[in-house]
Amino acid sequence: MSQSTLFVSNRQQQRMWRRNQNTVSFQAGKSLGPVAHTVLVALMLAVLGLIYLTQITKTSTYGYEINELETKQEELLTKKQDLEVENAKLQALERVQQSDVAKALDTPSTVEYTN
Amino acid sequence: MESSFDRSGRTRILLLGLLVIGAIFIIRLFWIQVIQHDRYEALALQNQETKFTIPAKRGLIYARDGKTVTPLVMNEPVYTVYADPTEVEEPEKIEALIRRVAGGNIRRSFETDLTNQKLRYTVLARQVNKTQAELIKREKLAGVGLQEGTRRVYPEGQLASQLLGFVNGEGEGQYGLEGMLDDRLKGTPGLLKAITDVRQVPLSINDDLVRVPAKNGDNLVLNIDRNVQTYAEKALKDGLERAKAKHGSVIVMEPTTGKVLAMANYPTYDPAKFSDVDDISVFQNSVVSAPYEAGSVIKTLTMGVGLDKGVVTPETTYQNNGSVQVGDFKISNATNDSIGTTNMVDVLHYSLNTGMVYVLKQLGNGSINLTAKQTLFDYFTTKYRFGQKTGIEQAGEQSGQVIGPKDAEGGEVRYANMTFGQGMDVTMVQAASAFSAAINGGTYYKPQLIGGTRSANGAIEEVAPHTIEDGIISPQASSTLRSMIVEARQSSAISKNDRKGYQIGGKTGTSQIIDPKTGKYTDENSIGTYLGFGGDNTPRYVIMVRVQDSKLPGYAGTAAAAPIFGDISNWMLDYLQVQPAR
Repeated sequence: MSQSTLFVSNRQQQRMWRRNQNTVSFQAGKSLGPVAHTVLVALMLAVLGLIYLTQITKTSTYGYEINELETKQEELLTKKQDLEVENAKLQALERVQQSDVAKALDTPSTVEYTN
Repeated sequence: MESSFDRSGRTRILLLGLLVIGAIFIIRLFWIQVIQHDRYEALALQNQETKFTIPAKRGLIYARDGKTVTPLVMNEPVYTVYADPTEVEEPEKIEALIRRVAGGNIRRSFETDLTNQKLRYTVLARQVNKTQAELIKREKLAGVGLQEGTRRVYPEGQLASQLLGFVNGEGEGQYGLEGMLDDRLKGTPGLLKAITDVRQVPLSINDDLVRVPAKNGDNLVLNIDRNVQTYAEKALKDGLERAKAKHGSVIVMEPTTGKVLAMANYPTYDPAKFSDVDDISVFQNSVVSAPYEAGSVIKTLTMGVGLDKGVVTPETTYQNNGSVQVGDFKISNATNDSIGTTNMVDVLHYSLNTGMVYVLKQLGNGSINLTAKQTLFDYFTTKYRFGQKTGIEQAGEQSGQVIGPKDAEGGEVRYANMTFGQGMDVTMVQAASAFSAAINGGTYYKPQLIGGTRSANGAIEEVAPHTIEDGIISPQASSTLRSMIVEARQSSAISKNDRKGYQIGGKTGTSQIIDPKTGKYTDENSIGTYLGFGGDNTPRYVIMVRVQDSKLPGYAGTAAAAPIFGDISNWMLDYLQVQPAR
């Protein structure tokens, strides 16, 4: 024989029972037993566990993404640094002095200031 | 037949046993998970967590280029190629690859260690560049790895090498700026503490993740102007070749701020190849680290003392007999010029030692007494700041030496000699800074190499000139001294190539030095110096030139150092676009 339990608060009961009113309440014919409860609780725990694991895995994935982006940033910074060094070498005074443009320049014999 | 009681009893015993075992498990788990929680958590973290050092980038060094800045020292990535011999599978292939790709960066006898199974780490090549590293990486050879580092790179080559210094293999700044400001340039490494996977990739899943960013070193902007520096180095090299001299130095300063525009030494070296240098004395910046008897260039400063104390004027005369007796010694002039009544301008023009002794005597009311010596000492040490470091941002600065008047060695002969730069040691930066103060109206500025710092976005925070002391001599004395120095130079043949319409003045100095082989003063070993300034109504630059062991006939100050001053001075007038007086 199965036993069912219906929890109804006092306030709800007071609302439900009016004067001269038939106090008939519906009771389900079937209800969950202890095994079903246990299984349900276990399922809920499993779902919660899965959600937790998903979150953790997602966070770890972010870690990989961050690491990947940082590596990329580092590579770009290194590239920028290389280009800056190359740029500085190309603009070095000795190199400029040896350029065809510089060699074609003449030193003025005198300098006159207009103001 | 077994009774139900027996069965029930055994069941109970079994149940009890199980309960006991269960209880033991529970107690043990409680012990481990609750009581010992912190310990095991720490142990677990120890396995899972890895600490990474985030390297700080060493600060760059910039020079001025007119109104902009240009890098003198930068960083570039370099790699160390290493191997774990226990993991190496194809040693012949590795050897061939390293020889083909790494070239001059190969470590000697690396192939021997490559097959030594007792080693877990051996370096195959050092300082290989990125292209070389990529070629090695592409081969994916078992047991071979690359370790990234950085090295200093010098786009302007050898320019200003002694004042810059270099960074050694251990990443420590040596000599010059790198040595002096190592802490400021290298910055502070950061820290990353995180749980990692098997490939040591940090995972952001724990609450204990620690990330302290690295603080990169300061990017320094020097007052050195690369154009002035380049010209000063060229003029010095040309001048030394003309004089067949061994060593020389130049400093160019802005006298109204203390900014150092150039600091050159010859011979020099390539800081990118510092390990190829045989004679380490070439690393020294002689402008700050080589005190010497500067000779007659100091006469201008002694004259400044006389003018400031009001004991002489340009028109003051004395009787020049070519020599003067001081104690047991006879102090003579270098030449027999201007014998007879001579004024103070001619004292500078003809560089008369007797005239300087006369000024010293005037400081003591006619004799070289304690008052005279103390006055000269006070001016030299507290006003001109000789005998103490200037604080310029250079490693190895020396303080020089000035003997006190009450010292056993501080007699009247020494003080007579000190008036013309003998018997005391000064560095070039000390002399040039003191001279700047004497001719700029009397303000002593700290000589400054660093003019500011440059942030990552390129903004420059300028450093203001640092006034040490105002009124080291009065503005009037300074103005008079300036005119005397200009007049003294213009009366001399060394001014014949000077640009017309400018205020250019200066003084030569030649001092004998001790021959290290004989321990005696000889004519073969001398130091020629020229200390002067140029500009319009305001002095725009001070140049000091030092030439050691000139082989030219005549006095080294006049024959070897003065032409270098003239060369740089004329160029500076154009470069600074100083307009001549009409």
